Amino acid sequence: MSETADAGSIPPAANEQPLLIFMPSGRRGHVPAGKTVLEAARELGVEIESICGGRLTCNKCLVRVEEGSFQKHGISSRAGHLSDPSAEELALLEKLDSLDCRLSCAATVQGDALIYVPESSRGQKQIIRKTATERTIEVDPAVRQVYVEVDEAELGEHRGDWGRLQDALREQWEIETERIDLPALRELQPALRAEGWAVTVTLWQDEVIDVQPGYREGIYGLAVDIGSTTVAAYLCDLRTGAIVAADSTMNPQVTYGEDLMSRISYADSERTGLEKMHEAIIDTANRLAAQTARAAGLQARDIHELVVVGNTTMIHIFLGIHPGELGGAPFALANRDGMDIKARELGLRLHRGANVHVLPAQAGHVGADNVGVLLAEEPYRWSEVGLIVDVGTNAEIVLGNKDWLYSASSPTGPAFEGAQITHGMRAAPGAIERVRIDPETKEARFRVIGEERWSDEWQLGAEVPPEEQPRHLAAGICGSGIIEVVAEMFLAGIILADGRFNPAFQGDRAQWDGRTGAYVLATAAESSSGRPLVVTQDDVRNVQLAKAALYAGARLLMQRAGIEIDAVSRVILAGAFGSYISPQHAMILGLIPDCELDAVYPVGNAAGDGARIALLNRQKRAEAQTVAHQVRYIETAVDAGFQEAFVAAIHIPHAEDAFPHLADILPDNKQAPRRARKRRYSRD
Amino acid sequence: MTEEINIQEMSNEEILELMQEDLYDGYADEIVEEVEELLERGMTPYDILTDGLVAGMDIVGVDFRDGILFVPEVLMAAKAMKAGMGILRPLLVETGAPKIGTMVIGTVKGDIHDIGKNLVAMMMEGAGFEVINIGINNSVEEYLEAIEQYKPEILGMSALLTTTMPYMRVVIDALKEKGIRKDLIVLVGGAPLNDAFAEDIEADAYCRDAAVAVDTAKKFMKIRQGQ
Repeated sequence: MSETADAGSIPPAANEQPLLIFMPSGRRGHVPAGKTVLEAARELGVEIESICGGRLTCNKCLVRVEEGSFQKHGISSRAGHLSDPSAEELALLEKLDSLDCRLSCAATVQGDALIYVPESSRGQKQIIRKTATERTIEVDPAVRQVYVEVDEAELGEHRGDWGRLQDALREQWEIETERIDLPALRELQPALRAEGWAVTVTLWQDEVIDVQPGYREGIYGLAVDIGSTTVAAYLCDLRTGAIVAADSTMNPQVTYGEDLMSRISYADSERTGLEKMHEAIIDTANRLAAQTARAAGLQARDIHELVVVGNTTMIHIFLGIHPGELGGAPFALANRDGMDIKARELGLRLHRGANVHVLPAQAGHVGADNVGVLLAEEPYRWSEVGLIVDVGTNAEIVLGNKDWLYSASSPTGPAFEGAQITHGMRAAPGAIERVRIDPETKEARFRVIGEERWSDEWQLGAEVPPEEQPRHLAAGICGSGIIEVVAEMFLAGIILADGRFNPAFQGDRAQWDGRTGAYVLATAAESSSGRPLVVTQDDVRNVQLAKAALYAGARLLMQRAGIEIDAVSRVILAGAFGSYISPQHAMILGLIPDCELDAVYPVGNAAGDGARIALLNRQKRAEAQTVAHQVRYIETAVDAGFQEAFVAAIHIPHAEDAFPHLADILPDNKQAPRRARKRRYSRD
Repeated sequence: MTEEINIQEMSNEEILELMQEDLYDGYADEIVEEVEELLERGMTPYDILTDGLVAGMDIVGVDFRDGILFVPEVLMAAKAMKAGMGILRPLLVETGAPKIGTMVIGTVKGDIHDIGKNLVAMMMEGAGFEVINIGINNSVEEYLEAIEQYKPEILGMSALLTTTMPYMRVVIDALKEKGIRKDLIVLVGGAPLNDAFAEDIEADAYCRDAAVAVDTAKKFMKIRQGQ
């Protein structure tokens, strides 16, 4: 990883690696020579559009080297500091009428350069990129490779080449195998004879899936997390356990429906709906396999196994099973248990004998992704009680310890993904992700994705040089921003504990339409549309409903377990979104129960980590199966106590539950009553 | 701040006004006292219902629509209303007071969402309707049975999932088949629905929220009663 210097300061000349500065962002840093400009840009956090991933076909990644010595930036930049363009690149540039530009996926860095990224090449990707976190996993994969020397065939000896190989495996490796995949059997005879009866055998469990002449090494596996919105893939070396490449992309099924239920409807109502969605996800998996393999200098056929996690609907569609039954109660799964399937049966283009392992699910809407989270966090080993929440359109909640585990799925709705919020948006550049409100002046300052400075440090106006202006103005509010702004509005007394706008709230930031209030979060000048971004009463209400659903689910599990809130020793926020939530604001809002603030922490894409763990260690697959059966799933919606728990959780942070860890932060009196309760003389 | 009030010293009009405030704040015990006081003074159950409770719930409905009150406050108000109705209902039957209307309401088959539908039920009760809440996950047969038994003017159906809302059409088709579709006002609601869907399945109206449901039900009842 290269280091990024503060904008404006000149990096030490002693650094031998070339210096790159990207404009207009001003991002700068040293990168090893030989990296492509695209790779360097990504390392430095500069988004450049690239769809083909370096195949010189999409033409999206054009950049320009600014020539000259730039005192201000302390750099001497030359076009010759990038590798010479190949004939193929030149031809493309000529066709694009862009001979002054370079394709950033092809040009490699050879020396210092100031690189201008034109508007058309700037990526507008989703920021929630599921990157793998480091975890210690014992490497014991289902796939292994062994080198054996096999007896030569002789007249009068009739074991057959497969029999001879079986014997050699038994004698030299103590491997008992009865099964050989047909494509491997077809390769067996030429392979044995190519290099003097010495072969490298690849086994999946006890099945031979490949026989190659001589000594070979290299077995790889792909862990895939199919989210409704994002699909993430981690390519792992199955010998070392290391992640050799990772990539993620949008789930193409979004075209057929934003949320799970609309995709199920699509499968229900369109004759070829399931087929289309199935093909789209298989195609995506193939692309991710090819891209990660290429990034690691490999090919997709080097991938010997794929482990997949996802919610139950995504897994059904991935396997080509109609998800219709998941569309309504009783939400019957086709199969709850883990599965092994030949990749080729699904149309996956990996190693021809590759296996696909699907992690088990818990219940109709608590899928393999949640089991992946359990594998990664291992609540079944905790001595104290902990809570895991995976916030999404459906929040999955797990409560428990080594003795017992409960889970639930709470319909939070899409509010935390920016839907149903007036100025809501997904996490993308320009989205407000952090908010602070001054309780005295009610003035807001915020931070948007893609710009490090808080809005109160922004320099705006025609006289400000472009490079000093914010890279992105506020375009909307994403999930983490929504949680923060509502929590901050509550702390600042703009809204009351019942969620209603405080009638006493006045001033520049207040917008009243009759008796209905709204809060101006970003002024017209700070907004990319030139119109203020506001948080309305309805927005607050939608957030209240979403957070109440999650909290009530967690509370109901506690009731089932017979524990009080103070028994919960930690709260883990799983999922990409969880990584961006401020634990304190989540607690102020009453999204999660009271807990030591330090004991609330994000774990990133734990589902993907779980897939990787199962990929690298086959014992963990058995563990997954056991825990999936052990967890007691509670259908909260039909629980007699849910409505009461839900209604009490609508208040901010809660109508009844105490939050002792927020004692210094929360406003003193939770709420002035609308009207003093009367005392009266009784009739009798 | 505590205010001392003796309702025995208040006029009927003042008590009716106080009832509206108490409903708004969800004070069930106070509502019971006030209803009893007015009955003792000889006011008819029907007048207490319409000028006290229903008028009070109207205000709650308006504030709910405007976002000033939300689910917990409305439920509190509805509970207070229910406490008052507990006293009034048998008396209303006894005195043969005009009925405002009857509604059967339930969430459709495959759908186990309860709360939004319950809120509509309570607001309808608040408006003086008799409401039979048949719960969640209702099949065509269960709807038909309830209609047969309670003879409602209004049928309410709720669905919170894109996948379960098509079942509303199944129910409406069954009503047509039985030849009772025209006898009923069919109101539908739930997050994934909209006006176009309601029109498509030939429901009478889509109701965005509980306040709209009450307004719509009243409007249709007026048309039906030829007012």
